[in-house]
Amino acid sequence: MPHLFFALSLIALALMLAVVWQASAPAWKTYQREFHRLESVGEPNALAQNAMLTTPLDIRQVLLPGLQRVDRCTTCHLGVEDPTMKNAPQPFTFHANLAPHVPAKFGCTVCHGGQGLATGERGAHGRVQFWQEPLLPKEYIRASCGRCHKEGEVPGVPELAEGRRLFETQGCRGCHKLNGVGGSIGPDLTEEGAVRRFPEWLARHFLDPNAVSKSSPMPNFHFTKEQARALTFYMLSLTSEQMGTYYSSVRLIPSAGYGRQLFVEKNCIACHSIGGVGSKSGPDLLGVTKQHSSGWLDEQLVNPQLVYPGSSMPEYDLETNARKAIVTFMALATAEDARSILSRRARPLTAQEAAIEAGKQNFARFGCVGCHGIQLQGGVPNPNSQGGEVPSLLHASDDYTKQEVIKIIQNGKAPPVENPKKPVPPLYMPSWKNVLSEEDINRVADYLWSLQKKRDAW
Amino acid sequence: MNPIRDAWQSIFRRDPLSTDKGKSELVFLNVWLHIHPAKVKKENLKVKHTFYLGFITFYLFLILVTTGVALMFYYRPYPPQAYQDMKDLEYVVYLGTFLRNMHRWAAHGMVICVFLHMCRVFYTGSYKRPRQFNWVIGVVLFLLTLGLSFTGYLLPWDQLAFWAITVGTNIGSYAPLVGGRIRELLLGGHSVGQSALLRFYVLHVALLPSAMILLIMVHFWRVRKDGGLSRPVWKLKAESSAKLVSIGAPAEPAFRVVPASQDKTYGLMEVVTGKPTFETVTAEEEEDTVFSYPYAFFREAIALVATVISVMAVSLFWNAPLEEMANPAKTPNPAKAPWYFLGLQELVSHSALVGGVVVPALAVLALVAIPYLDPNPSRRPADRKWAIRAFAVFALVNVVLIVIGTLFRGPGWALVPPWVHIAGAE
Amino acid sequence: MNRRTFLNWGTAGIAALCSGIAVSLAAVVRFLTPSVFYEPPQMFKIGNAADFSFGPPTFLAEEKIFVFHNRETGFAVASAVCTHLGCTVGYFQTDGRFHCPCHGSVFGADGAVAHGPAPRPLEWFEVTLARDGQLSVDKDRVVPAAYRLLV
Repeated sequence: MPHLFFALSLIALALMLAVVWQASAPAWKTYQREFHRLESVGEPNALAQNAMLTTPLDIRQVLLPGLQRVDRCTTCHLGVEDPTMKNAPQPFTFHANLAPHVPAKFGCTVCHGGQGLATGERGAHGRVQFWQEPLLPKEYIRASCGRCHKEGEVPGVPELAEGRRLFETQGCRGCHKLNGVGGSIGPDLTEEGAVRRFPEWLARHFLDPNAVSKSSPMPNFHFTKEQARALTFYMLSLTSEQMGTYYSSVRLIPSAGYGRQLFVEKNCIACHSIGGVGSKSGPDLLGVTKQHSSGWLDEQLVNPQLVYPGSSMPEYDLETNARKAIVTFMALATAEDARSILSRRARPLTAQEAAIEAGKQNFARFGCVGCHGIQLQGGVPNPNSQGGEVPSLLHASDDYTKQEVIKIIQNGKAPPVENPKKPVPPLYMPSWKNVLSEEDINRVADYLWSLQKKRDAW
Repeated sequence: MNPIRDAWQSIFRRDPLSTDKGKSELVFLNVWLHIHPAKVKKENLKVKHTFYLGFITFYLFLILVTTGVALMFYYRPYPPQAYQDMKDLEYVVYLGTFLRNMHRWAAHGMVICVFLHMCRVFYTGSYKRPRQFNWVIGVVLFLLTLGLSFTGYLLPWDQLAFWAITVGTNIGSYAPLVGGRIRELLLGGHSVGQSALLRFYVLHVALLPSAMILLIMVHFWRVRKDGGLSRPVWKLKAESSAKLVSIGAPAEPAFRVVPASQDKTYGLMEVVTGKPTFETVTAEEEEDTVFSYPYAFFREAIALVATVISVMAVSLFWNAPLEEMANPAKTPNPAKAPWYFLGLQELVSHSALVGGVVVPALAVLALVAIPYLDPNPSRRPADRKWAIRAFAVFALVNVVLIVIGTLFRGPGWALVPPWVHIAGAE
Repeated sequence: MNRRTFLNWGTAGIAALCSGIAVSLAAVVRFLTPSVFYEPPQMFKIGNAADFSFGPPTFLAEEKIFVFHNRETGFAVASAVCTHLGCTVGYFQTDGRFHCPCHGSVFGADGAVAHGPAPRPLEWFEVTLARDGQLSVDKDRVVPAAYRLLV
């Protein structure tokens, strides 16, 4: 009896030692030792070298409560901020162009993806089951810029702006909701960047939806590779990041391009001129950054009355970085910019033209083109509906009066079914009366009517 | 006067273990060990009779308490942090993965062993008088084990946990009249959320373990007072076996007085003295007894070390699962309860009220009633064929239902062969 | 079994038991020692040398340190935590000393206790130059008051 007990105790002890041994040799310790060895080579004397080699090994962590993340990537990726490691092998390689996104304030995973909590390679790179944010491939990393920088442009990442433009003009909202506006036929895309961070899937999806999503009623928009890429970038940026105050305060990029966008949005040319081109009500702005400090200009944008009491310049409620952007634009704005801004402004429209133009904008913005086509040609397959596809709107006036069309837009319409025994057609006309005002719907009808093909005279 | 010897003897007051007196005193002068008798009958030690399942279940419970307390140092029972702490245990805490594995596999082991222990007690007829109420306490301990396992299942706050508990609490809500209220009390709300996590945590680390420990104490005490561990009395010599096998037979008075041996009297705190009313050790059986130390203790110690080794070995090689973080908006298909409730879920899929409430309630009531309804005074298996067959069927039905629920049910709870999909939530 | 066998097995058994207990205790202590801290880090970067003016020290509120930049002798970093009971001290240009608002401790320019209930001088932390050119402060490494980093 005691022999058996003793033998079993030895086995238990052996198992305990096995557990302890297993726990004391994680891979990251090997990487850290190797890195210290590499670093010690660059040290000037034996004492410093020894100090480097005997640096204690521990898990390194960047706590980011403002981004609700914890990143432990630097446990292995020790050389990201060390320029002498430019040619070192991974995981020690130096990360160029980090500023202003220093690891201490931003970590790594918010741009690169991956599982920041992990300390092993596979787990940390996120390519494991049950982790929804794997490491992004190199060519898609810049899509992450759009996770925080949602307004304006991001210098160096034109794909984001292009993706957003395509989304708004190709009619995606007809079937997909984004931030509460859009149709319910396809999935809501407001958090698409959070739930589906698989760029290869997204790109293939845009090139041919049915190849990746078998029974999807989404039509093939025949996007080019570049367009699919831009849309993929845009999708990846659709996350709702919880950002602490520091991050929300620096979110807007004060670039000249954004400044120009704001200049146009706020219609500054209505009162100001640049190099003589523009309106004469307010002062000319050419070279204004040489005459006044940026602090003075900033104050002017915040509180125009302070500097010029009685000024008719309105108070714009602009964030710090938005004001910075405008000032940045002012530093390079020329008369040429003013001319180009003026020429883009629409010439005054008649009331009729304005209504049709507004209707056209609505038609694109709310996604009607997604099913009915940019030229109203229809043709999107709708299995088991009579006719088998979404109808063209070019002959709507043959079958309906304008009032009937307005009613259909307001209340929606299920397509007539071809074969009652087969499944109901997946695409239908949704009801828009809760989304669009009566005026907006009337304008859409005006736009449609302006495009009706005249019936051939018999 | 040797001061060192004095100091030693002030702590360890017994005689040396080489003496009989010392062996006895080790048991009855020691607060931790005196649940044992100083001497046990040899048949009490038979492995093939009890398989030491009761001990193993208890040891698994001890492993669970130890590893559980260790894990408590690194776990916060609030929804987003709970999942992060599970990841921290996996990646950052020294021995975190190992301890979590120990805890999970010991938990599964305990549910299995407590069930097997119940089967064994039935098979050896050890629930018969005077041990009926101890069987009832055992059933309550079984239910507490399931409750502890269920409350602990939610704590990782991953998809597996969240939906298993959603399904489990919904099954419970089918109970008539009180079902909805019980579910509301458990969840602290209408659905599984941060209140549910906190309540389940309190139940899991404080309330249920306290109840468990108290009832275990009663359970062990009763075993001792009822004459010690179960032994195959039908295998003893004919006359004594005849006497012992038919304890409390209906034709005889409720308490059968056994003639006391001449050398033994029993005193109870010098207030009551008297003769024994249940079993006593007769002169013949005296030869069949051995000292608890070392015979019983070494066997129990071996069972303990063997249990620990098994759990450690499994924990070294198999990791407890952790799926993605709980997402109320995304239901896995199929959503399955923890495995020990899958039999229940299978029944519920056929009928919510009958399957989910009536049948399980009747099953528990029937279990509790077994010792009181059993008319057969004999413990010999040969005399109880039909009882044993009936219980075997009951056990088998449970196992089969769980197997069906685990391996044969796929998306939409449709029947699919086990090789088509992976068991459990996707 | 005879006495020799018992003693041999017994000693071996006790040795195994003791090593088991020692390993377990060591493992328990290591288990309870946190590997990561959910606090701001003890070692951090504070910026480039050019960001710090000469003269009175720069106070970094979040890190609770004073950064001295002397034209001739270089950088020194002092703790802003009073050694009495932990309040944050302030630097007064009028007398060039640190004053604690809580119980009136006063520390000289080198951190030594001038008067008040503080038992020990203010701590000075090691400041080094990181490979990317920024200054790096390590609060886990306390250095003598005379320590300077010449950049």
